[in-house]
Amino acid sequence: MKIEILIYIYLAVCLAMIGFNIVCIFVFSRGDMETEQSRLYYINLIKEQFSREALEDRHRLLIYKRLAHVRELTAFDKALETLSKDYPEEVYSYLRKLEHVFVALADRYSRRNEIQMAYFPYVISRYRLFEGENLPQINRILVDLLQKPSVYCRENALHAVYSLGISQNVADALKIIDEAGFYHNKKLITDGLMSFSGDKNELDEYLWERLDDYSLNIQLAILDYIRFSSEDFRERMLALLLDNRDSEIHYCAIRYLGRYPYEPAYEHLIKFSEHEDEARWEYTSITCFTLASYPCERTVNALKKCLGSRNWYVRLNASQALERMGLENIDFVDIFDGDDRYASEMMRYRLDSKKLHERAATS
Amino acid sequence: MRYYLFNDTAFEIIKVFLICVEFFFVIYLIGYSTFLFISVVTGSSTLYKKRQQDKLKNTILKNHFVPISIIVPAYNEDVTIVENVRSLLTLDYPLYEIIVVDDGSADKTSAKLIDAFNMLPIRRPIQRKIDCQPVEFVYEAATHKVPLTLIRKKNGGKADSLNTGINACKYPYFICIDADSVLQYDSLSKIVKPVLENDNVVAVGGAVRPANSVEIENGRVINYRLPKNIIACMQVLEYDRSFLASRILFDKFNGSLIISGAFGLFKKETVIAAGGYDSTTLGEDMELVVKLHDYCVSNEIPYLIRYATDAICWSQVPESIKDLSKQRRRWHIGLFQSMWRHRVMLANTKFGLTSFISYFYFLIYELLSPFIELFGIATMILAFLVDLINVPFMLLFFGIYALFGSVMSMTAFFARTQTIDLKVTFKDVLKALLLCTVEICVLRFIMVWVRATAFIGYRKRKLQWGRIQRKKINLK
Repeated sequence: MKIEILIYIYLAVCLAMIGFNIVCIFVFSRGDMETEQSRLYYINLIKEQFSREALEDRHRLLIYKRLAHVRELTAFDKALETLSKDYPEEVYSYLRKLEHVFVALADRYSRRNEIQMAYFPYVISRYRLFEGENLPQINRILVDLLQKPSVYCRENALHAVYSLGISQNVADALKIIDEAGFYHNKKLITDGLMSFSGDKNELDEYLWERLDDYSLNIQLAILDYIRFSSEDFRERMLALLLDNRDSEIHYCAIRYLGRYPYEPAYEHLIKFSEHEDEARWEYTSITCFTLASYPCERTVNALKKCLGSRNWYVRLNASQALERMGLENIDFVDIFDGDDRYASEMMRYRLDSKKLHERAATS
Repeated sequence: MRYYLFNDTAFEIIKVFLICVEFFFVIYLIGYSTFLFISVVTGSSTLYKKRQQDKLKNTILKNHFVPISIIVPAYNEDVTIVENVRSLLTLDYPLYEIIVVDDGSADKTSAKLIDAFNMLPIRRPIQRKIDCQPVEFVYEAATHKVPLTLIRKKNGGKADSLNTGINACKYPYFICIDADSVLQYDSLSKIVKPVLENDNVVAVGGAVRPANSVEIENGRVINYRLPKNIIACMQVLEYDRSFLASRILFDKFNGSLIISGAFGLFKKETVIAAGGYDSTTLGEDMELVVKLHDYCVSNEIPYLIRYATDAICWSQVPESIKDLSKQRRRWHIGLFQSMWRHRVMLANTKFGLTSFISYFYFLIYELLSPFIELFGIATMILAFLVDLINVPFMLLFFGIYALFGSVMSMTAFFARTQTIDLKVTFKDVLKALLLCTVEICVLRFIMVWVRATAFIGYRKRKLQWGRIQRKKINLK
């Protein structure tokens, strides 16, 4: 093939792309204009329904037909966003009456491409539709999305599950993601669980009971969530720490016991801080940080010993813990006058840094 | 003319030689055109898909904060450094720290920072995980939204400053940015998204855009215009065609070999394990990325190097041929050094498509292209001398080639401006249309010469900072 022919072909395609770009400019601007018009239309339409006891069938049918188009759904979403500012309760009540329409729409959206499909649960979670309800039609689209490779699909579906507020559904959703074999960042799961709208105590218990059913990544996410959500797991966290588990699980338990001090755990934490095995420095380092929640002379001595560790992070965390315990320069004379320059430098820096922050706060 | 210059045997030899050259160039140009075509089509369609995803909320909606350390290496930056740090303090992200590393500047870089941000001296221990020049002093400020640290060290170059910053930073991910660049307000939350999407991400490149003539207020673009200066304007088009499109394509198969030093996010642990920035190279940004590929593949570590098209950094581009030539010479030498040091990646199945597409592309169409193109011009002169060239066809061919390149530039330009909602005036579209051809026909050939002669005298400059004339970015 002569090269100029190939270039002509490429040129033709690129010219078509420029044409496409120019068409896009018009389509996008027209689309934005139409969405805005629709938004205003929905605002009036919805407002009219606020005063009615029940929604008119004609209204339901109209909404169903229009929202089957994704652009209409975005305009509807924007209209609700505007109305929610002034009429939050009316919008909530209106949407509860409209739930049947969304059940029917779920089936339509479950047949769309991934991007459009994922928008549907976004609307559900945003307006807390179907809160406390366990509807198979809605569950079907959510389960489908949870198994998609796109993290956005899974994330939107998970947020819808959290907004439904049913503990068992949350536990099942995490299991579905696990079984699908896709990586889902534990931070996203932890933060997402915090937004659960149902009974959080029930969710904590439910997830704890099923902890061993999940992969390590999800187990860590759940344990992190429990750390922010409940103080009722001290005993169980200690048992987890003493159990033969992955070290990452142990770190979570140690952090929990730092956030919620538990006297029976103290001896074990002190032992962890005394580890001299370099390979287990992470235990020592995390424990050092945790020990600040157990202020006493023994803790101070243990942390001072850790200041002399060969590991940088152990020294760093020990100095931070000592500073958090409110000790002053005078309490560290033995460190400053000692032979260990690294320990002295680290502690001095921590105290100077504290002064810097205090000065900043007062100025 | 040939009868006067060559005898029959010599003429036959030249003829065979020219046939071979012709064959080589047919293959060469098919390869280049195909690459350009695929990258622009892929780039544009990816940008449109991204736009649709954003409209339909297919994104990580809440701000899930990954703590980030921003490292700003600075050398004689007293004109821009204060404004730059001020703009970094306005970023819409709650969990980050800023570390400015003054590489022994001869001007008032450190003094201006200390004064402007009420910084105080502190004896801060810094763990030397990567070798770097000794630290002279450390200042910190706690009065701002996020912690601000200034480290003044003995001069050692940009890579050495970045290594000092890595040693000092406290968070698991760090961002390196140039002291004359400005991050868009949402750039941090955008650049961490790939990290949240996949745990194996070790580096993310941000999109660097020329800031000349752009007005920015609190990290937001309030007025977008193509630069008045035509050299800068042509670079806008070049960035869209060559950098934006090709990086999106490489991203599809984890084949990015470069993350601009102006804006990139890295996983600290992996960078330290790989040895940090190489202070003996001129292109430390590319060297680090190629090194990460090499390190992760050699150690069988699963890894991803991603490109975030919507994480935007505005950076000044050179406005004179002299500055541009200086910059491109550095880039070219850096390219050579990185590729030579990691030549193990050449045609190595362990590296997969990164070796067979990315490495080959950079080798043939970036590193060797100036020499190949100069060779092509010399061959044309020879062909002209022996009367073996069809001049009208040659001109037609050049015309088609220029048109092709221009269409590619415009396609990428439209796709970018449309998908990130930048309003471009009709005048700017006309300007882009005119200059894209000039860029292909004139600037490109000047840069061919600059790159081909890049190695002349490079030993003298090899550890100097790459500097262009500094101007303040239009910040409000």
